[in-house]
Amino acid sequence: MTARVDPQFITELKKYGEVTIESCFNCGNCTAICPLSTEETPFPRTNLRLVQLGLCDKLRESLDPWLCYYCGDCSATCPRQAEPGEAQMTMRRWLTGQYDWTGLARLFYTSAFWEVGSILLVGAFIVWMFFLFAGPMVTDHVALNTFAPVERIHYGDWVLAAFLSFFLLSNVVRMWWFTVAKDSKVKVPFSVYVTEAWNLIVHFVTQKQFEKCDEEQKGFWQKKRWRNHWFLVSGYVLMFVMVVGFLPWFQTDNIYPIYHPQRWLGYYATIVLLYGGFDILWSRIKKEHQSHRFSHLSDWIFPILLLLTTISGILVHTFRYLDLPLPTYYMYAAHMVVLTPMLVLEVPFGKWSHLAYRPLAMYFHAAKAKAAQLQESLTTAPAAAD
Amino acid sequence: MPEENVNKQAQAGQNPKDEEPRIGVYVCNCGGNIGDVVKCDMVAQTLGKLPNVTVAHSNMFMCSDPGQKMIADDIKEKGINRVVIGACSIFLHEQTFRRTLERAGLNPYLYYHVGLREQVSWVHHGTPKEATEKSIRMMAAGIAKARNMKPLEPVRLPAHRHALVIGGGVAGLRSALDLARRGLQVTLVEKSHYLGGRMAQWERVFPTNEEARPLLKRLIDQVLAEPNITIHTGAQVAGAKGYVGNYTVTIRQQPRGVRGTFPNEQGVMDVCPIKQRCEFNYGLSTRKAIYRPYKECVPEGLVIDWEHCTKCGECVQVAPEGMINLEEEAHEFTVEVGAVVLATGFQPYEPFYGEMGWKEYPEVITLPQLHRLLDDEGPSDGKFYWNGHPVRNVALIHCVGSRQVEGVHRAQMDGEVNNYCSRVCCTASLSMASLIRQKAPDAKIYEIYEDIRAYGRWHEDYYTRASKNNVTFLRYYAEEIPEVRRADEKAENPLLVKVRDHLTWGEEIEIPVDLVVLSVGMMPNPVQDLMEIFKVTPGSDRFLLEVHPKLRPVETAVNGVVLAGTAQGPMNIQESCAAASAAAAKVSALIEQAKVELEPYVAHVDPDQCQGSGECVKVCPQEEAIELKTFSENGRTFQRAVVTPANCNGCGVCVSVCPNRALDVQGWRLDEYEAMVEAIAADIPAWEGAA
Repeated sequence: MTARVDPQFITELKKYGEVTIESCFNCGNCTAICPLSTEETPFPRTNLRLVQLGLCDKLRESLDPWLCYYCGDCSATCPRQAEPGEAQMTMRRWLTGQYDWTGLARLFYTSAFWEVGSILLVGAFIVWMFFLFAGPMVTDHVALNTFAPVERIHYGDWVLAAFLSFFLLSNVVRMWWFTVAKDSKVKVPFSVYVTEAWNLIVHFVTQKQFEKCDEEQKGFWQKKRWRNHWFLVSGYVLMFVMVVGFLPWFQTDNIYPIYHPQRWLGYYATIVLLYGGFDILWSRIKKEHQSHRFSHLSDWIFPILLLLTTISGILVHTFRYLDLPLPTYYMYAAHMVVLTPMLVLEVPFGKWSHLAYRPLAMYFHAAKAKAAQLQESLTTAPAAAD
Repeated sequence: MPEENVNKQAQAGQNPKDEEPRIGVYVCNCGGNIGDVVKCDMVAQTLGKLPNVTVAHSNMFMCSDPGQKMIADDIKEKGINRVVIGACSIFLHEQTFRRTLERAGLNPYLYYHVGLREQVSWVHHGTPKEATEKSIRMMAAGIAKARNMKPLEPVRLPAHRHALVIGGGVAGLRSALDLARRGLQVTLVEKSHYLGGRMAQWERVFPTNEEARPLLKRLIDQVLAEPNITIHTGAQVAGAKGYVGNYTVTIRQQPRGVRGTFPNEQGVMDVCPIKQRCEFNYGLSTRKAIYRPYKECVPEGLVIDWEHCTKCGECVQVAPEGMINLEEEAHEFTVEVGAVVLATGFQPYEPFYGEMGWKEYPEVITLPQLHRLLDDEGPSDGKFYWNGHPVRNVALIHCVGSRQVEGVHRAQMDGEVNNYCSRVCCTASLSMASLIRQKAPDAKIYEIYEDIRAYGRWHEDYYTRASKNNVTFLRYYAEEIPEVRRADEKAENPLLVKVRDHLTWGEEIEIPVDLVVLSVGMMPNPVQDLMEIFKVTPGSDRFLLEVHPKLRPVETAVNGVVLAGTAQGPMNIQESCAAASAAAAKVSALIEQAKVELEPYVAHVDPDQCQGSGECVKVCPQEEAIELKTFSENGRTFQRAVVTPANCNGCGVCVSVCPNRALDVQGWRLDEYEAMVEAIAADIPAWEGAA
């Protein structure tokens, strides 16, 4: 198939973040230095070239940008300061916008007005919900479950979970359609989806691609980016499961002893979220890691919302334990006002969506490689018989 | 006069001092280059026993000061009168040792050089015994020759301190100016009616981005101000006779038909009914049969295109009285010059019909045409417009007519493809991309290349600038050249360029464009006539050939004819000027003293033996090197062969056909050969390593 060039595409991509790859002269240093790039998937060079020529259909069908974990070695080695690492980050934003059929992701990534405005809008909606559905405020002692009855909140949780699952999953289907189904070179049989499924779980749980991304250090504790990211994810998932799955157990007016799992699981999640949130923000402010030298608005919004959610959660907890009823209620409402847009907007339409796309990309990539291998063995088998 | 020289030569050859040969033999170790294989001491010792060998030494470096002093001392103290040196190649140190002999008071031609390094040690390093034996034999032959050697004198000829520069482009101008400033007379001949050549047609030139014509004007003004330079435009060399130092060149000059300038020039051009393709704009516009080559051309004023003028007389009516003369005829004249600079330049490669859409689609132009298009004085006043529309998408395709591959590209008339790199086009294209970016900031520019060779100082900057300026690069495979075709009628852009792009892992890419620019290479200007007149030869790439690309880069095999600029091969202006200055330096070193010295290895006739058979004249491959002349002596008239040493290249064909053995090549006489053959075939004297 002959592909048609579109030099305007780079202008389009620039709306999603820092792109300076016009100056790339395709030397391939980036690919040579990349610890994750392989002979079969020689990124970032391939991706950069697709952008240079504006072959956006091919970029949409590529999983490569998701295979990059942004160690930044490519940007550091680039002889033309073309910032291939940041370009791939931008491509991931663009891809998120392509997978999302609602167009909201594209809107949020390319417009600060819509990004901030929609957060405020969802926050206002939550305030309104509190006006409508909040219970009475008991002032002589803290009765959170009276102010915000856990059944109602839990009900809201389920609505929220259904909402974001629906959008995220439908976007995931689109990702599969672009990157796997439309690939004319390889057809993935159903059995391969099943046999390769472990990839999805392993990469979701371990995020072990990060390991290769920090070649100089040895071991989980020394590999700072992997370690911090892993703890952040563990805290986030734990908190998400507790809140969405076990809210009546988690949000209670009972005070459990310190050794109770409700307490220490909550504390663990809070500590790693707090540390993780600060770590990201601090690193972006200091621009200390290659991957933090450029920050798109979406890169700021995400840790800020996370931090605000965590801090407000800590304050709710503190006020409740200090038995301060009104501050507890108001802080609880504030907590919900920050938390809801973070989940509703960031998970299906924003940066948070990478929690699905990253392990899925590893899974699809492995499935395609396996399928290609099977195809190869089928076509070469008769030759071997000769 | 040459004849006198010959006689003097003959006398020198015939009457050597009848002294006993006292031969000094020197074997050079060459710092191990020879000594590691050949046992130099053994060679010297063995040769020392041969008759007439007075001294035989070996030394670490004969070319070093102590080595040379050893020879000089032997000449002065031991009365050595012949020298045989076994050392490196004759090309490296023949002159060194000739001067050694001269300084010691010996005729420099009484020296024979044996190439022990190239002919022995380097090629026989595995077999030292045989190598040593071979060295002894070769040097014994040298000694045998030395016994018979006679002193020689170089051929000295008077020379005109006057150079002819052919070509009025930037190389010719530079050469002429350098020569004139060394006090030589210069005649500059230019075929067209203006000075400046191809450079005048560029818009601006890399790597300084200066406008080409103002830059050229500076050089032309200097040339015009130089009283030693005589310029003939519209003139071509019609013939030449003679040899180095003494050329008589016939020049044929076309008249301009117009005398000077006058105010109503535009009106005169307007009335001319003949329309012709304008060569200056590479056919992007037309001109009349009476025209001005370009706005600020030198010499100024109108010119008549005699080939197309019908002599209708319309222009004469409008022009001031006597300014136009349609009856003017071409005239011929001669100049006497000592040397010739060939600065005949290049022409842009002309693609074949259909080669990447050339001539097939009007939207396909060449890089020189693009220069004209972007020129403020060009056909579109410098606007980047084509067919009346602004150009928004342009593809520049590199290596058109350069680095061609046999079987992929169509060959030229001579059956050869242009497999050479034209060197300037990469940077020229990239600099044009920058200029387009200036003129049309939103244009989409594609550079479609095979390799980028931005090799010179600051050239790479153009590449960097282009890539930063959003120029898209695509790299095609040498064997799969890009395809240009017509887009659908409804398409926004008239052409499609299809490239299989190396950089996108061989993906086939289609580019919609408004204009395709073929970055054409250089071909030499057709100068078949000059090659015949001056006996210079082209290389396989059809450009004129130098003697040696490194050691003698601007000289031709013909003494007195040198090359300047792109006549010799693709060069940019900087390199052309450097070559032109080198050519000028060579010419002035040759004729500045009003005489030239040539090697004495030329044919020599023994008048007593010659019977005037004329066989030699028939076989001589050189023109006017040997001829029969009639003499009368004591009332008897007879014919004898006479050599003109300046024209003889010492090939010796005449020697082989002479029925009377009356001919010899000086320095390589038959008796010398015979002695050498005898010595090589003789039993070699006993030497220690032989057992």
